[in-house]
Parts: sequence; structure tokens; C-alpha cells
Amino acid sequence: MNPFLALRVFLKDLRLGPRSPIFLWAVVFPVVGTLVVQLVFGSLFAPKPRLGIVDEGASAITAAAGEIDGIELSIVASADELTHLVRDHNLDAGLVLAAGFDDQVRAGERPPLQFFVSGESLASNRLILAVTTLDLVRAVEGSTPPVEVDVVSIGAPQLPLAARLTPMLVLFALLIAGVFVPAFSLVQERESGTLTAMLVTPVRGTDVLAAKAVLGFVLAFVMALVTLWLNDALGLEPAALLVAIAVGALMLAELGLIYGTAAKDAKILFTLMKSLNIVLFAPVVFYIFPDWPQWIAQLFPTYWVINPIFEIAINDASLADVAWQLGIALAICAAAIPVIAVLGRRLQGRVAAA
Amino acid sequence: MTPRAHLGIIGAIVAKDLREFSRDRFWMIMTPFALVIYIALFWLLPATTEETIKVGVYQRGLDAVIAQLGEGQGSGLDIVEFESPGALEEAVTAGESVSIGIAFPDDLLEAVAYGRQSTVTVFVDAAVPNEIRTAMQALVREVTFELAGVGLPVTQPSQELVVLGEDRIGRQVSPREEMRPLLVFFVLLVESLALAGLVAVEVQARTAKAIAVTPATVADLLAAKGVTGTLLAFGQAVILLVAIASLGNEPLLLLTAVLVGAVMMSGVGMIAGSAGRDFMTTLFTSIVFIVPLAIPAFAALFPGAASAWVQVLPTYGVVQTIVGVTVYGFDWAESAAYLGMAAAWCCVLFGAGWFALRRRVEAL
Repeated sequence: MNPFLALRVFLKDLRLGPRSPIFLWAVVFPVVGTLVVQLVFGSLFAPKPRLGIVDEGASAITAAAGEIDGIELSIVASADELTHLVRDHNLDAGLVLAAGFDDQVRAGERPPLQFFVSGESLASNRLILAVTTLDLVRAVEGSTPPVEVDVVSIGAPQLPLAARLTPMLVLFALLIAGVFVPAFSLVQERESGTLTAMLVTPVRGTDVLAAKAVLGFVLAFVMALVTLWLNDALGLEPAALLVAIAVGALMLAELGLIYGTAAKDAKILFTLMKSLNIVLFAPVVFYIFPDWPQWIAQLFPTYWVINPIFEIAINDASLADVAWQLGIALAICAAAIPVIAVLGRRLQGRVAAA
Repeated sequence: MTPRAHLGIIGAIVAKDLREFSRDRFWMIMTPFALVIYIALFWLLPATTEETIKVGVYQRGLDAVIAQLGEGQGSGLDIVEFESPGALEEAVTAGESVSIGIAFPDDLLEAVAYGRQSTVTVFVDAAVPNEIRTAMQALVREVTFELAGVGLPVTQPSQELVVLGEDRIGRQVSPREEMRPLLVFFVLLVESLALAGLVAVEVQARTAKAIAVTPATVADLLAAKGVTGTLLAFGQAVILLVAIASLGNEPLLLLTAVLVGAVMMSGVGMIAGSAGRDFMTTLFTSIVFIVPLAIPAFAALFPGAASAWVQVLPTYGVVQTIVGVTVYGFDWAESAAYLGMAAAWCCVLFGAGWFALRRRVEAL
């Protein structure tokens, strides 16, 4: 391999890249993906118990409920509307506070509690909302509890949803830039005949593969970093983060070369992508749903690059904490080299025979 | 030319397209492989939903109250008793069996009886959401109010009046069931790309134009592409539905919904295929369609009715029919509105695909 020639091919790809829709997708994705996930899907992922209140008399309960962290409160105009919202499971529970409810509670008149839950609401959410509502009513009543409750917190706090979505965005950025760009670039050059034309120049197949790998690596590295920056998830260990992203970009760029060299045309490349990308993308779903069995995520190769990035960027882990995971990722990268070599030789043979 | 002759020509073009796919050994291997992955992913997901909060409890002399708290699945609590506060704290720290622990003091009953203030310790893993912490504190206070003989400050309605809609306690929609429409829809969406690719290649190679010198009309070609796309998408979706055991309730209704979805996706494939200059442009043009079309399938993963803007998306009707039939046991009458909406969108998208491809072929 001639590094100088590989560099020239790389610079050519970089110069012509912006003309390709895939290249543009790779660059635009971090911004678009972050916007879509944060603004659009942010409203769909609603894990908190949702309580709706119809307040007909400016109850103190409504104000107190609004201050509870972890419960999504909606003020609803009428009891009928609230009933519909609860029945359709747009809310987990509904509470109607009639005019004078607080005064009746304070006077010990035991007014009826108009509280109802959705049939589709989880038992745990029903319990949370019912018992919290009762506690708020007790507060209005002014009764002193017979005990003090001392809460002892153990371990690290739970991550917000936005943080759990970050691995998805980063993997998307790595996938588009690291896999799609070099793979499509290789196939496109092959289909348009430029690879064949290169045979009459000093450039060898290995130079082209190296250039495509560097293109995928650099683009994936930069776009993953941009994605993390846009999501305010750069962690406390910048050097460790750069190492983890570099390993991730390397693995994905290698996969891009495998895709690009294995596919003889764009149709096959597409088939390869639609079949295998679910394997690459699967681990990120497990971050969104932490209650799912997490060991399943470890079955997928990309877990070993996305998890170290996640741990460093979100959980402030150090390089030492994730070293063994990056070791596995590097082992996967090393195992991919002979595969790329074989496929690369086969590609060169086919191009020469064409 | 008779309609029968047209049908013969369409059949011949479809057979040619399918033969082309079947000759592609790579496609023949990887397409079933992708289906196997979808199926494996489905069966790997949990079949049940965890809807109770597991709480460790240490107590002396409160057996009856604690037993009442954890009675039945509807209570929302799964209570695990511990021998000492130390063992309870260790369990919460380890985070394996419980993430919340309530340690009632040994002299609680005596303290409450004499009106003496006592302290109950609640151990919580820091990962426990704030709403659960708040609820556990409230629960402890309520238990002690009950022990002190202080009644509720309100009159509670009967259980029947409290639950609105079908009570799904103990049989909530599992992650596996939630993923079902998404997987089916993903197969349909991806196969629309396959059709788009086929169309783009024919446009690029001008084979579509070459048909003009044969007895086949442009309409025959367009119909054939629609049939090919529908067959590819529908066939794979049906295999997936069978493999993930989804045809138990109203199989005909479910197949109709999937067929409508497959035709709709063929329309999308035709639009994308006729818009693209080459395969790659086509692929990324398709993604522009796929992202909004996939939103209803993602929305089905989350509770409640989707937002109004999601409900007007073309794929919403198909997804809701699949969800309704497979999760809630809907019949034809209950699915009619969704299916009607899907059919209307199907006509619009397929019509748009037909129009776009016709213009492209005629312009060649």
C-alpha cells in the first residue's frame, strides 16, 4: 500500500463527497436526528405516571401536585374530557376536585374522592398516583403523620430519557458516516467504472480500500463527536471519550469496507444493509428500555463500542472502567481485517476481470 | 387488446421481476436471514410486563397490614420480607432482589399507641424514579395513619367506578406485543425500498422505455411493478406474522390490513423509484418517505392515543389495525374506521406512485 496515493484518493473522496446524498445525510443527520428525537419523539416517550386534574375550586392539591417531580400533571377543563382521556389511556389517572373540596376536607366532612384510573394503566402507576393523591389530601387536612419517614438513597441516580436516547443517535451517526459512506462510495466507483480505470494508474486496490476506510473513520469520528456535543453529552473524560469514539469509528468503517467489498452492486449492498443493520442497531433499543434483559444487547458487536461511549459520555466513566469493553471491540476489529483482506482481493480480481 | 391479454402481459412482467430476484442468490440468502433476525428479536423480548413495584420490608408485629398491602397483583406491590434492617439495606445496595426497602422500627405499634413520634427508614436505590420514592413515603405515612386508627379524610368510591375502560391488570401489553406492529411494518417499509430500487434500475437502463415496442402498455408495466412490490412486501410480512404467531385472532382482517400496507408501500416505492437518478439517490429519497411513515409504528410502542398529527399520517390506519387485532382482539367492525382510513391513503399513495412513474417512463 502506498500511503501517499491512499491520501490522494481520500482527498478526492472528501472533495467530491458533498455531491453525494449519502455524504450529505451523514453530515446533516446529527442535527436532524437530535431535533427529531428531542422534539418529536420526546413527547412519545412518556414513562412518568400521568395524572389529570379537573379543579373546580382552586384547590391547594392541584398546586401541590404540580410540584411533585416525576408525575406528569395535566389540568383538564371538564370531568367529561378527563374521563375520555383516562379511558383512552392518554392519562393514567384522573382526579376531579369539586368546588369547596379543600374546605370540606379541613372541616372533616370526608367529601367523596372522584379519582379514577385507566384500565390500561400499570398497577404500579395506579398505586403511585392513588397513594400520592391521598397524601396530598392529608396535607390539606393538616393531619400530622404518626411517623417521620427517613429516606436513605443508595447508589447513582437514574438517567433521564434524553440520555438514554443518546446511544441511538450516536450509533446512527456512526452507521451513516462509517458504514454507508465508504460502502456506497466503493460500490458507486465500481458501478461507474472508476475502479477499473484506476488499474491503469499507480493506485492499487489496497490504496483505494485504505482511503475509503479513512474516509469512513474520519467522518464517523467527527459526526459522532458532533452528535454527542449537540446532545450535551461529552462527559468528564475527553481523552477517554475520544479513544472510545475512535474505536467505534474504526469498527464501523471496517464494516463499511466489508459491505462495500462484499456487494457487487448497489442492489446487493442494499440487501446486505437491510439484513444486517438490524444486528448493528439492536443494542441501542436496550438503552431506551432499561427494564428489558440487558444481556441480550451484549450479543451484538456494536454494543462493545456504543456502551463504552455511553458510559464515558453519560455516566462519567474513565478509560480504565471501559478498557475491557474496548478490548473486545478491538478484538472484533482485528478479526475483521482478514475478512476485509479476502474480500478486497476478490474485489480487485473482479475489477481486473471486468 | 382484451383485458385477459393485459393480465397475461402483467403476469409475464411480474414473473420476470420475481425471476430476477430469485436468481439473485445473495438476495435469496439475505432476505430470509433478515426475517430470521426479526423473528428472533421478537421471541427474545419479554412476553410479560412487570407492573408491580418490588419492595423489601422489615417489620415486627405488622404481618396483617403488610399482607394486606401486597394482596393481589392489582395492589401494585410485590412485597419481600427481610429478617433485619441490615439485611434489607444490603439487598437494596446489591440491587438484585429489591431496589426499595422499608424498615419499620420494632416499637412502631407501641409508639403509635402512645402517640410517640417514631422514624421509618426507606432505603431506595438512587436509580428509583422520584415518583416512586414520593409514593413510598406516602404509603408509609398512610400505613401508620391506619395503625393509629385515623380514618381517610375522604370517602372512596367503589372499585367498579374507579377503573375506566377494560381493566388489563395482570395482562398488560408486553414489550413483545408492542414490537409486533413495528416489525411487520418494518418489513413492509424495507420492501418498498426493494421495489424502488427495481424501478430505478429499469428507468436507468431504459428497459421501461423498451417495452413501448412490445404489445405491453405503460399501464401494464406500472401495474406489474405494483404487483411485484406488493407480492414481495406482503409475502414477507405474512411469513413474519406466521412465525411470530400473530394470525390467531381475525387472520383475514390482519392479512387485509397487511395487504393494504403492502400496496401503500408499493406506491411509495414507485414514487421513490421514479424520483431517483440512480439507486443510491433512490434509496435516500425513500428514507425521506420512510421516516414519517414509520412514526405511527413507533408511536404504538407508547401508551395512549397518538397525537393528532400522527393520526393523519398514511400508515396510522394500518398500524392501528394490526395493534387492534393482535393486542386488543378487534374484529372487522371495530377496525373498520382504521382500515377505511388506511385504504383511502393506500389509494392516494398508490395513485401518486402510478402518476409519478408514468410521467417518468413517458419522459424517457
